[in-house]
Amino acid sequence: MVRALGITGLFRLALTVTFLMTVVSGCANFKEIKAFASLSSSAATHDALTRDYIGALERRKQYQPQKFHSELEAQKMRREAQRAGLDVLQQTVADYMQGLGGLAAGEIRTYDKSLDDLSERLNKVTLLSDDEKDAVGALSTLLARTVTAAYREHEISKLIRDANKPLQDVIKATRKIVVKGMAADLQVEFALVGRYYDNFILAPNNPQEPVAMALANEARVEALRRVDDRLRAAQRYDVILEKIAQGHQYLFDHRDSLGDEELERQFKPYVDALRAAYRDLLDVSR
Amino acid sequence: MDKLSENEAFELGNQFRDAAIALGDWRFKNRAGLSKVQWDELDEREITLLNTASSIYTSAVSFVLAESKVPVARLQSNVESAKSAIQHIASFKQVLDLASALVLLAGAISSGNVASIPAGIVALEDAAEAIIRPDGPV
Repeated sequence: MVRALGITGLFRLALTVTFLMTVVSGCANFKEIKAFASLSSSAATHDALTRDYIGALERRKQYQPQKFHSELEAQKMRREAQRAGLDVLQQTVADYMQGLGGLAAGEIRTYDKSLDDLSERLNKVTLLSDDEKDAVGALSTLLARTVTAAYREHEISKLIRDANKPLQDVIKATRKIVVKGMAADLQVEFALVGRYYDNFILAPNNPQEPVAMALANEARVEALRRVDDRLRAAQRYDVILEKIAQGHQYLFDHRDSLGDEELERQFKPYVDALRAAYRDLLDVSR
Repeated sequence: MDKLSENEAFELGNQFRDAAIALGDWRFKNRAGLSKVQWDELDEREITLLNTASSIYTSAVSFVLAESKVPVARLQSNVESAKSAIQHIASFKQVLDLASALVLLAGAISSGNVASIPAGIVALEDAAEAIIRPDGPV
């Protein structure tokens, strides 16, 4: 029967494939959303900051007389109790971005496998010629991918719409803690370290032994540099959070155009800015 | 007195920190006129002020964490939605419906029955619609 169709059957099939390709054309592109989500997920997880915040009290013991150590220990316990809450803030943003990235990436290969099985079924049911089987197989894959992409577009749009407000709130809270809490506290540490070495160098009646003074100056510079590195890491992490918030807000504002090539182009600078901010953080965290 | 807000607490921490720094600057500037005892006493005051600033920051962080519980819970719920959507994509049922629609279409094409091709396309569109809008009427 199929042979009887000959050129005509194949021609119709080709026409249908062309028609369906036109119908389902404009296949959504989530490349930049996927990159944004993946970068955000990695960059949002910066547990060194929480470790530093809690470890600060232990570090400061060396710069303070023994009589203050019990007070520092008590404060360390209070910060330990905050660890879970601080981790949740970072982890929730990272988890959300993983979810968004998972949707943007899709599971195309899974469908391709299921459609491999379809080839056999098609062979039995329709008795197609080899060329026709290839064409139907290609069409099946194309459609499955397109439908999956359309489903993803719908789900990504819904997710971004629902998550934007809580995400912005969580990022705002994290930024407040990082800038007004952690970075401000590192400035306290900077003052403590500075005064420790200045006391050694400038205290009344201190013998001004040149070698000891030179070593103290060297140690002072090194110790302050370490605090400064931590401070810069906190500031750069804040920039990352700002970029994540801005990028997500852009996606929220344009959620009806997700998957468009044009949107992808316009969104790319947000991804590039986030990538640069992440690189800056890695530079100072090494 | 009203409870301190988180922003007021952070600002209070800054004031303690800046006061300690100013005290230290004064101490070093006037070190020539200070005895060892006076020097040490001022030094201890500075440390106390700096530790107090740290303690206030710690309290303010707790305020922020308490305030952020609601948005965190909401965002976590969105994370669950994303996971569920990914699961949805991973399930085969809808794609197999689509595959069946394709088989129908392929049958129409190979039989040369032009009249049944539009019905095959409609079936495909329905299968696609069910995947794109799973909450819609069936």
